Amino acid sequence: MLFGRAKKNPIKLPAQDVVEWKYTTCGYCSTGCSIEVGLDKEGRAVTGRGVGGADVNQGKLCIKGIFEHELFHSAGRGDKPLMRDRIFDPYQATDWDTAMDRTAAEIKRIQQQYGPDAFAVISTGQILTEEFYTLGKLVRGCIGTNNYDGNTTLCMASAVSGYKRSFGSDGPPGCYDDFSHTDCLIAFGSNLPEQHPIIYWRMREAREKRKFPLIVVDPRVTMLAQFADMHLAITPGTDVVLLNALAHVILAEGLEDRDYIKAHTSGFDEFSKLVAEYDPVTASKICGIDEDTIRNVARLYARSNAAMSIWTMGINQSTHGSDGVVGINSLNLITGNIGKPGGTSLSITGQCNAMGTREWSSCSGLPGYRVLEKEQDRNDIARFWGIDPEFFPKKRGMFQTDIFPAIETGQIKGLWIIGTNPMTSMPNTARIRKTLERLEFMVVQDAYRDVETTEYAHVFFPAGLWAEKKGVMTNTERRVNLISNVVSPPGDSKPDLWIFNQMAKRFDNGQKIKFPEDAADVFDEMAELSRGRFLDISGMNHDKIEAARGIQWPMAADAEGGTPRVYSDGKFNHPDGRAKLIPLPFIDNNEVPCDDFPFWLNSGRVVEHFHTRTRTGKIGNQNKYSPTPYMEMNPDAAQALGIEHMSYARLVSRRGDAVVLVQLTHRVAPNAVFVPFHFHECVNRVSLGLLDPHSRQPAFKQCAVRIEAVAQQEAAAVVNRAARTF
Amino acid sequence: MFEVRKDEPDYAFIPDVPTPEKNRYGKPIELGSENRSLVGESLNINGDDSVGKSPNRYKQHGFHFTADNCIACHACEAACSEKNQLPAHISFRSVGYVEGGSYPAYSRMNISMACNHCDDPVCLKGCPTRAYTKFAEYGAVLQDPETCFGCGYCTWVCPYNAPQLDPVEGQVSKCNMCVDRLEVGLKPACAAACLGGALDFGLIETAPENREQIKNTIPGFPTPDITNPNIRFQQTRSLPREMSRPDSAPLRYQRDEQGQSDYKPKAALKAEERQWSLRKLRSREDPLVLFTLISQAVVGAFFLLFLGPLLGLGALSEGSNPATVTITLLAMLALQGFALVISTMHLGKPHRFYRAFNNLKYSPVSREVASLSLFFGLFVAYIVLGFINIPFVHEGFTEGLRYVCGAGALLTGLLFIYAMHKIYRIEARPYWNHWQVLSSFFGSTLTLGAVLVGLIFAISLTLQGEPFSGLMALLAWPMALGLVIEGVGLYAHGRDLDRKGGEGAAAHLEQRTTFGHTYNSRNGALVLSTVLIILLAVSGVDGPLGLLMWLALAGLVIVTSLVGRALFYVLVVPTTMPGAFFWKNQRFQEHARESGLAEMPQVGVLPKTDYHHEQIARAKREIKGDLLKIRQQGVKVSLQRLAENVKERLQDALSRA
Repeated sequence: MLFGRAKKNPIKLPAQDVVEWKYTTCGYCSTGCSIEVGLDKEGRAVTGRGVGGADVNQGKLCIKGIFEHELFHSAGRGDKPLMRDRIFDPYQATDWDTAMDRTAAEIKRIQQQYGPDAFAVISTGQILTEEFYTLGKLVRGCIGTNNYDGNTTLCMASAVSGYKRSFGSDGPPGCYDDFSHTDCLIAFGSNLPEQHPIIYWRMREAREKRKFPLIVVDPRVTMLAQFADMHLAITPGTDVVLLNALAHVILAEGLEDRDYIKAHTSGFDEFSKLVAEYDPVTASKICGIDEDTIRNVARLYARSNAAMSIWTMGINQSTHGSDGVVGINSLNLITGNIGKPGGTSLSITGQCNAMGTREWSSCSGLPGYRVLEKEQDRNDIARFWGIDPEFFPKKRGMFQTDIFPAIETGQIKGLWIIGTNPMTSMPNTARIRKTLERLEFMVVQDAYRDVETTEYAHVFFPAGLWAEKKGVMTNTERRVNLISNVVSPPGDSKPDLWIFNQMAKRFDNGQKIKFPEDAADVFDEMAELSRGRFLDISGMNHDKIEAARGIQWPMAADAEGGTPRVYSDGKFNHPDGRAKLIPLPFIDNNEVPCDDFPFWLNSGRVVEHFHTRTRTGKIGNQNKYSPTPYMEMNPDAAQALGIEHMSYARLVSRRGDAVVLVQLTHRVAPNAVFVPFHFHECVNRVSLGLLDPHSRQPAFKQCAVRIEAVAQQEAAAVVNRAARTF
Repeated sequence: MFEVRKDEPDYAFIPDVPTPEKNRYGKPIELGSENRSLVGESLNINGDDSVGKSPNRYKQHGFHFTADNCIACHACEAACSEKNQLPAHISFRSVGYVEGGSYPAYSRMNISMACNHCDDPVCLKGCPTRAYTKFAEYGAVLQDPETCFGCGYCTWVCPYNAPQLDPVEGQVSKCNMCVDRLEVGLKPACAAACLGGALDFGLIETAPENREQIKNTIPGFPTPDITNPNIRFQQTRSLPREMSRPDSAPLRYQRDEQGQSDYKPKAALKAEERQWSLRKLRSREDPLVLFTLISQAVVGAFFLLFLGPLLGLGALSEGSNPATVTITLLAMLALQGFALVISTMHLGKPHRFYRAFNNLKYSPVSREVASLSLFFGLFVAYIVLGFINIPFVHEGFTEGLRYVCGAGALLTGLLFIYAMHKIYRIEARPYWNHWQVLSSFFGSTLTLGAVLVGLIFAISLTLQGEPFSGLMALLAWPMALGLVIEGVGLYAHGRDLDRKGGEGAAAHLEQRTTFGHTYNSRNGALVLSTVLIILLAVSGVDGPLGLLMWLALAGLVIVTSLVGRALFYVLVVPTTMPGAFFWKNQRFQEHARESGLAEMPQVGVLPKTDYHHEQIARAKREIKGDLLKIRQQGVKVSLQRLAENVKERLQDALSRA
């Protein structure tokens, strides 16, 4: 039945001549998938695949991981340090010494002229933990500014804050394996299939083997919402009300785990007094979920042997982000679902090494979950580094989202940006432009020369990316994974570790403190500092981590392996060893839709892109699935406004306007629109980003907008095209 | 051999499970028995002569897609494009979707689709170059881009959009079932990469682990009757009664009121207003608009010249107007030559034109080219024999031979028009799959043939100061008759499209809305020109004024024909898979080109639709390379190789016969 020809022709298939596979870990999101990159004879990275025996991804990769090896050859990379006197001059290529000398001189000048905190450093969740630790050493130990934070304020700050408030420390208690043991899963504002496809795969595999109810809380009918047993289409910004009402039902019906509450928590009385006010009827009027559903979910969750909650930006990026996290933690505490298989409160982290920066960068304090506010912590680190403890401030400085307003009003004059792109990622782009142009000096350190923030920089440091460097990253489930340097950074670009080490030499304390050149030695330093602490990694080193395909902390020096879950013993990190149940009164401070601005604006991620597209926007086989921004809009609402599918519309808020291509779909409510946040000059031209009082994280996902039909479609296309330079 | 890793996860391996003897289409699943002699041979993948050890190597394999589960994460597409090193504008596998319901009771069903390695591979049958092979190994349908000459006919006939024509490379390529992975027991890259628990792969008519349904339809999937595809589905989740597409194809899918039937494609009104859309009349198929019309005019003109004198059109005989007849014949020759050149240049790889004859057994394209070649050869012979006398033979013999050639050209010409029409009788293109194509092509043959002859003769007679109205009165018959045939066909076409529904009705709706003004004007012009032809013929106008009037009328007829034929090409709505909002959405592709977004290669849309110059440049390069090779290895060796090649082909043909 060989059909077509009697004689077989030889078959030619495209194939790569791989001579060597190199182990590394994905550098996009925080799932922490192990990847092998295939190199050809010339040592060029030509292909990649998931590592079959890796616990996290078991050979699978998402679209971003599949094409990640193409990043080494992607367009727009910086290969030479650049410099210019004024931001309206063209950049000139220069050498590292000149660029660094100038930068160090400017930092010192600004600090002398305006005070040590007038120079700020904003870092990222993208570089390696050893690099974070070294940057912390440089900023806290040598430069000495207290205005030092990471862009993790835009994504995980609320989770960090909520964990600290409830449990006394940061650090997600659960792991992916919990999916295999749970009897009920609630996902709050988390769309795994789009944001964390591999975690979704783990969840779905577990659910296929052992069916458990999946409840999704999301104002949008996301892919996960569609697959949920129950979808709670909540009114934006009202999660705390829902959480209070769930607790209300559990307590009112006596479904709580009284033994657990008694043994391991504090603050129950105040907590129960407050949730008593949130009966399902009252709550349903605010959060838009009917009372029966609230009762049903509360009973289901409380009666499960093991129940778990996951959340992502739907909770974190709101004015009640930290409270939302606390509320989720409390839900799990009163039902006894912390630290047990299938019972957990697990934040699904965004960036590949958001955890690393939280643990080791000293952004919010000192390395290894130490805080500036504790004398003991200051002394320990000062002694270890060999400097005077008085060099450290005694209180944490500004968050990222407070640094920008401080630039705006002139308290901060100089800025070092590392691996982040506020020109696209921060709310209210117009305000950010105005802010950045006020700086006397800005240095941008990034793998990409074309990252939009370089528009306002004076110096550009070209850095290596992902597996052009060696070190570790910590994933969502506290797993420390190894990134090995598969190839070298292109041209004159350098690993971030090298850049920090060289910069340190230009400061007085840089002569006193040791700055090891090899990442493995830096790791050993961190391991030493972690000894006996909550995030103990003293039992790990680079070789052990690679051999195990990642190890979950804590792993003490004498331990056999990592720890899948923390708080299993019911001991928490507050001084009294108990977790706190915190009452959460709800104050509606959101910019809610009104007559002038009748739509909720929601933003979020798409699977093919990461952050501000500096990487994914360069790779055709990813970028093509959404090469330009779009807005999901309800067809009924669009019809009333005369707006058509695949036409440009104008999005207007109290901050400004943007043009965006309209995709009509019933996925969004008639009074809501959704726009992916990845694109320059689009959704963040109109977003508000009110700050959470605890975490200072912006509420990207709730503000009010108006939508107008655009008569001049061609002009709109020109505007849109102009913002897509890569 | 493809490398199987030590830690290769279990899910990546194809399970060895029992299959029924026959598939649902009644064909045996075991494929080796009919080709015993070939069983156990190596597939010779990339020069590797090892043989796969799968116990099921000779059983039909296929994809199993659980549509309930697909999350549109693009992992399958990415794994495929990565393995096959595809540029952004090409993909062997694509994920599109249909959606329905209203917030929050909204459902979206994603569909991941590549080649279905059909039992009845219409691509293989359609391909004139025989670039396709259905292997007994795994039942894989593979295509060899090196054989392909880029006509794109397989992309017309495939109902699932599997073959991908790359306008830059000028050739087609498609899903190869990852046969290199199959040889070592691994599932194709896409199935091994799936994250949603949707795409799987295995022996046909078997369900993967934890799956219970094996059906061959889901909403948005074309009827399996066309090709008997080897894909199976599970889709148990209930969906809204009506599902719409995010792309610009004017289609939606609906099941009956009771929600019992399968989902059927229905026309979706996307542009309610009637428009001209004249700019959209231009397409990649422009050369075919000219090629078909010119060929029909030439065949029609030859018919009139050859048979006319016998049917009372004495003026057309060589006896009465020898110079004009010669001029007409030469004009026809020039026109047909031009049509041949543009249709050849329309190929992605024009220098491989000779491969058009490779698949006479199945391909309508091969047959069209063959009948065209016969017609053209005999037609040229007819002209040449009119000029020369063969030495040493009787003059009568030459004349007789010429007459035989003429009769042959007449017959092969008619055959050619018929074969040309067969090209468009494609089940995956319901708008074309109607006898109207035949009536239109023969209608044009009559009308344009008469117009061509009439114009040349009228001009010539006027220049000679002689009247032409008598001739035109007679030629008006075929002219008007052709138009009437065309009109009747069009009427029946529209009626039948609406009656049958589906993609054809959608195209017809598009014809009445997006192209509404153009369509109505063309129809009006058809009626008007028929009336004017009769009026002018009856009025007996003559002389320069009369000539002017006839010329104007001919202009109207020609423009009407061009517009009509252009509509024929641009309107067709194939039975494709749904696209997404950006990817595989024709409207976005047009927008990306117009707005300049397409100039960034990572947008995945080619900035141009036509890569003619690049293709010609490549053709020149390749021909030069071939010549150099011949020079290097010597003419003798080259000829020997050619002879071997031909011998092989003949043996191949004989063995099949």
